[in-house]
Amino acid sequence: MMQIHPEQIARTLIKEAFISRRVVVGIFVLVNAVLLATGLTWPKYFAASTTILVEEKNIIQPLMQGAAVATDVSGLNRNASELIYGRRIMDRIMEHGGWLDKHPSAEEQESLVEGIKKRTAVSNLGKNLIKIEYRDTDPERAFRVTQKFAELFIQEGVATRAAETRAAYDFIDKQAREYEAKLAQSEQEIRQARGSNLDARPVSESELSARLAALNARIETTTMELREAEIRRASLERQVSGEADVTAGITREGQMRSRIGEAQARLDTLRLSYLDTHPDIVQLKLQIQDLTKGLDSERQRPNQGERAGRGEMSESAMNSPIYQQLRRELSQAQVTVDALKARIAESQRLIREEAQRGKGLRSGDARLTDLARDSQINREIYQDLLRRRERARVSMSLDDDRQGLTFNIQEPATLPQAPKGPRFWQFVFGGLALGILVPFGLLYARMHVDPRIRIPDSISKVHNVPVLATIPHLWTPDELKDLRAEFPVLKVALVSTVAVCAIISVLRMVQAL
Amino acid sequence: MSKIEKALNRARGEHRHQPGTGPDSAEDREPLRGTALVPEPRGELVRLEDISRMNQNDLPLLDAENLSRHGIIYPQLVDDPAVQAFRDLRTKIILQGQGENGVILVSAVSKGSGSSFVAQNLAAAFAFDAANTALVVDCNLRNPSLHRLIEDPSTPGLTDYLENPDLDLSTIIQPVGIARYRVITAGRRHEIPAEYFTSAKMRRLIDSVRWRYRERFIILDGPSMSDIADIRILSELCDYVILVGRYGRVTGAQVENCVKEIGGKKLLGVVFNDEPRIPQINWRELWLRHWRMRPSGAGG
Repeated sequence: MMQIHPEQIARTLIKEAFISRRVVVGIFVLVNAVLLATGLTWPKYFAASTTILVEEKNIIQPLMQGAAVATDVSGLNRNASELIYGRRIMDRIMEHGGWLDKHPSAEEQESLVEGIKKRTAVSNLGKNLIKIEYRDTDPERAFRVTQKFAELFIQEGVATRAAETRAAYDFIDKQAREYEAKLAQSEQEIRQARGSNLDARPVSESELSARLAALNARIETTTMELREAEIRRASLERQVSGEADVTAGITREGQMRSRIGEAQARLDTLRLSYLDTHPDIVQLKLQIQDLTKGLDSERQRPNQGERAGRGEMSESAMNSPIYQQLRRELSQAQVTVDALKARIAESQRLIREEAQRGKGLRSGDARLTDLARDSQINREIYQDLLRRRERARVSMSLDDDRQGLTFNIQEPATLPQAPKGPRFWQFVFGGLALGILVPFGLLYARMHVDPRIRIPDSISKVHNVPVLATIPHLWTPDELKDLRAEFPVLKVALVSTVAVCAIISVLRMVQAL
Repeated sequence: MSKIEKALNRARGEHRHQPGTGPDSAEDREPLRGTALVPEPRGELVRLEDISRMNQNDLPLLDAENLSRHGIIYPQLVDDPAVQAFRDLRTKIILQGQGENGVILVSAVSKGSGSSFVAQNLAAAFAFDAANTALVVDCNLRNPSLHRLIEDPSTPGLTDYLENPDLDLSTIIQPVGIARYRVITAGRRHEIPAEYFTSAKMRRLIDSVRWRYRERFIILDGPSMSDIADIRILSELCDYVILVGRYGRVTGAQVENCVKEIGGKKLLGVVFNDEPRIPQINWRELWLRHWRMRPSGAGG
């Protein structure tokens, strides 16, 4: 589609309006009449609104953390409209608004309630803000009803919450009582069981096995110690028997060898200055010979001694300090071994005893143990419930004192001064504006939808056909005569429409004053 | 210029002033100038007698009110945009013809486009100029309109002439009370139009009216483009074709189709007819008349 200049469009619109002038004027008059009538019959509504802040958190909550549960308001927020539209509040509102003065029947009341509901708007402004708006023809009543709405809403909200908390408390309380009774009963049973079997002592299986395990462990460690001590004793015995011979042999042989050495050294020195025939040298040689002989005989001795037996331990060996010490240690080891053996025997005796006791436990004390266990569990639950009950009690008193959940009237209802909704002058001006806009809009739409040519340029530009001339309408005298007759009629229609609008507006204003 | 001719001109001028608004029309002086400076289109003198003969009216000239009623323009309507438009159209055609007269077929894009109105007024615009004359031939046999200008309905027309060999051409060319303006009506019979137009006599008729007076423009008031057979034949006979499309009645596609049918050679262009115009109404006068009417109670 080619671009048409806006001026051309405007001109064409005026031409089109002129062609269908009767329709244009008709629509103008009609639109004005309709809007004027709507404006006159439009009910005057006065609206009053109030905003209620439902506070979730307050100073008490952190203080009572864990001890009390503040009532959750998110649900209340959501259910605000249900609460307000509920029959309980509606009945009170009807009473307060004076609708019940005429004693309407049940059906009439129903329709009244529907009407009130329709005029009431409940909206959640924010997370915690609830706005209640009510419209009424009477500003005074609008104000009163809105105020009452806020009051009743808060009352109902508090009451609902309190009832909920109380119900929770009652439930926990009942449970606590039940457990209390159970506990008392089980304790009674335990007492009876004890009476029938005085020895009976509640020993648990686990306790017994733990004791057995400890004894077994003790035996094991003692056995180990015993083995250690025995090895030590054996080693000491071996050392004591060998030590006597060695000590004796070493003492005499050593002496001989050193004397041979000394003689040999002197012999060597003498040989440097004398011949072998020198008497000194000869003497020395003999001496060495003797000594060597003595050494040999000494070497023979241990073999002789062994043959002779231990009893013949030499005096010197007996007196050796090392030997003395070894003997001491040996006797100590013997004592240790004896002590450990005794301990093992004792432990084994204890294990036997415990095993014997275990057998008795399974048969006689089992019932008592069960009773004890039940009683233990009941006691735990009962204590927990008691704690909870105390928390519920505090929560309940929080709600009773209106501390847990607070409703604040953020914005109280005010007496509405001016009616809400479109004003009369808006209808009048809207009618005038629409009366012009609607027919021109329709013409404009037709121009766009209708493919028939109204702007000669579009033939030449789009279809590439030369336009020789554009012939304007030639008015014949008859046509002009008709037009002259028609124009005043249209003019009167237009002027009278505007005049009627103006007069009614003025009248309305005077009446309003 | 002879005395007789001057007298004739003066008499005609006075005659035309009679219904009009005053002697301020430029067209009034044209006959004098026209007769004095008649061009010589084909190198032969236009005989002044011819024009004076055309100026002579067997009928008294129609006054402005009658013309207005018939929807025909007259020179006194200088301020009327329609008159301006027709003059402009006429000038374009004369320029196109380079001084020679021509046969112009006026056809409507669709029925009711007002091609007869355009044909008659185009002829009137030609006749404004005292140097030119105009002849309108009603070829729209199915829906003729020119007979309305003739008072006697029994006057023979085109079909009568084509059927009756005894009829002379001069008997069907009728004056209508407008200076330099003649018409040939459709006639009384119009059953099978295509056969009339294909006849040799039709061609001879066009040629003879055309060559008889060199200053005469012949306008064929043709049928609408829906009678495409007639249009084809008639466009053979003519020099130019003008298409008439009416404001708010024809679509661009229709116009394009018509242009394709005719072909580019002879088509001069499209005349966009009957564009709405809000008439200049003297509101004060209207108001006064309105008030005056009321107390008397009688129509003024």
